[in-house]
Amino acid sequence: MGSHAVPGRRTALIRFLLAAIGSRFYREDEQMRFTKIDWKMKSLWFLLLLFLVLSSRSLWAQVDLTGEWSPRIYNDGRDVGDYTGIPLNEAGRLRAESFHPEQFDLPENICRPHAFDIGLRVAPAQLYISTELDSATQQIVAYHFHAYWSDFRVWLDGRPHPPEYAAHKFSGFSTGKWEGSALVFTTDHLKEGFITRVGAPLSPKATVTTRVTRYGNYLTMVFMIDDPAYLAEPYIRESSWVYDPQQIIPAFPCEPSPEGTIIPAGSVPSYLPGKNDILTDFAKEYGIPPEAALGGAETTHPDYLKKMKTMKTLPRTTTKHFERQG
Amino acid sequence: MKTYFRSALVRVGRIFMFAAALALVLAGRLDAQGAGARGQANTQAPATRAPRAVAPKDLTGYWESIVTEYWRYRMIVPDKSDYVIVPLNAEGRKVADAWDPAKDKADGNECKAYGAAAIMQVPGRLHIYWPDDSTLRIDMDSGTQTRLLHFGGSAPQGEAPTWQGYSVASWEGIGPDSQRGGGGGPIRDATIGGAAGAVGRAPREVGGEVPGHLKVVTTQMRPGYLRKNGVPYSGQATMEEYFDRFSDPYSGDTWLVVTTVVADPQYLMEPSITHAHFKKIPDGSGWDPTPCRADEPR
Repeated sequence: MGSHAVPGRRTALIRFLLAAIGSRFYREDEQMRFTKIDWKMKSLWFLLLLFLVLSSRSLWAQVDLTGEWSPRIYNDGRDVGDYTGIPLNEAGRLRAESFHPEQFDLPENICRPHAFDIGLRVAPAQLYISTELDSATQQIVAYHFHAYWSDFRVWLDGRPHPPEYAAHKFSGFSTGKWEGSALVFTTDHLKEGFITRVGAPLSPKATVTTRVTRYGNYLTMVFMIDDPAYLAEPYIRESSWVYDPQQIIPAFPCEPSPEGTIIPAGSVPSYLPGKNDILTDFAKEYGIPPEAALGGAETTHPDYLKKMKTMKTLPRTTTKHFERQG
Repeated sequence: MKTYFRSALVRVGRIFMFAAALALVLAGRLDAQGAGARGQANTQAPATRAPRAVAPKDLTGYWESIVTEYWRYRMIVPDKSDYVIVPLNAEGRKVADAWDPAKDKADGNECKAYGAAAIMQVPGRLHIYWPDDSTLRIDMDSGTQTRLLHFGGSAPQGEAPTWQGYSVASWEGIGPDSQRGGGGGPIRDATIGGAAGAVGRAPREVGGEVPGHLKVVTTQMRPGYLRKNGVPYSGQATMEEYFDRFSDPYSGDTWLVVTTVVADPQYLMEPSITHAHFKKIPDGSGWDPTPCRADEPR
């Protein structure tokens, strides 16, 4: 950059002002050319200046999100058959029920990243946020979010989302803007993935809107997931972090095992419809009506409690189910 | 002569325009500095106007909790000793392991899970309104509880603790304390000084959303439960809450999100953070007041 650095907006403003002052002295000889039209043209600089002053205010209305953040919400800790609170529709439930936990042991899945939002929820989701600056203007063009299982950029430079046929990725494509003191970004072009680590699906048609808000040394992200394929209504959930500059955040840690996995090649563990024999284990262990454990929009409302009182539960097999989650 | 007169007019005009522009810029800078100075007192600028009048967001109305997270801890009464994710210390675990809902019932302590530190997690409805210009009231149909959020002042000393404690509220994020120009690091704590200058101006409405959120600090709470299954918080606990409101870009629904941070030196190893989500509903037609119940989710 050095002396060739393009001035920032404030520097440009000062230069503009100096130029205007200068014109007061340098351009005396041009006074004869000053016509009515010219007068109006000269007045435009005032409007331009006004625009610069006012527009620059919004840039200063940003909260600093950068730095290292330590997660305060860990693994969802869900079991197969636990879709509680997720507004799955019928297709989503069917798909979830076909999930077999050994799918993650397939060679091609061992290092498969999570979709960006769940990647921020699985432990350890130590988070590092940095900015990317335009080399010429030094303005922020993107925020870079990096956690163990999630790495993505949120573009703030007004670039459009790519066409539908463009590549879909686990990190998706995100553009954002400041809404008051919250960074709000929209992510699409997501690859098919999961909402939870136990098979609740996320389709490539999903769009996620995320609100990032900093409350002092707490960082909160509210995710609003809209998936017309698998959700009956948008699914809201939230994660929090605490500012912690003392962390060590490694790069993506996963390496495929050279020895392969316990799953033989050519086999994809899954359950056919109605054949999932572990589906109700969660409901049995927690004493929840099996139907309620399968989620759905209705189950998220307080009035569902009344309905649950009329529903049957299965005989409980344990009351110490939580101990395996630590 | 005519040309000379016109030239003079042009000069006067230019000087006037330059002076006006300079005044605008300087006014902005002074405003920023003034805002910075005000920031030391936690954005006290609006103090001359009633908190109700300067509210950046309207939180009033009826809201229904939408239980999408920790459903199994909120929509059922969890089993004894299930304190997964709560950062309980050894003493806290000991108390949680001794939970006895029948005893709570017999002792008249059925509201222990409806105290301020837990009530937003209990499924139900809220009615939020201003009984006066400096108090925001939250009525909850679950447990038929009421919280009063007092703007300005501090908790009175020597008062007996109550389930809902004493809450001091303030609007945040409408001043410069939470605004930074970059560089990383924590937001400065205005209470320990150094907030003046260099942080730019107060934000303004951007993208249709008004900046600012409600911060509530609650103390003087009667000891209670963070969860229905006896996970405790003590009388030493303090709580910070952040209330924010926004619109769902997909459905257009209006949401209230409450982020709660409970610190308790007696039972918690570190502050416990929870979230609660509420969707705006048109009226109180679904209002369903219940008594405190030790053995039911709400």
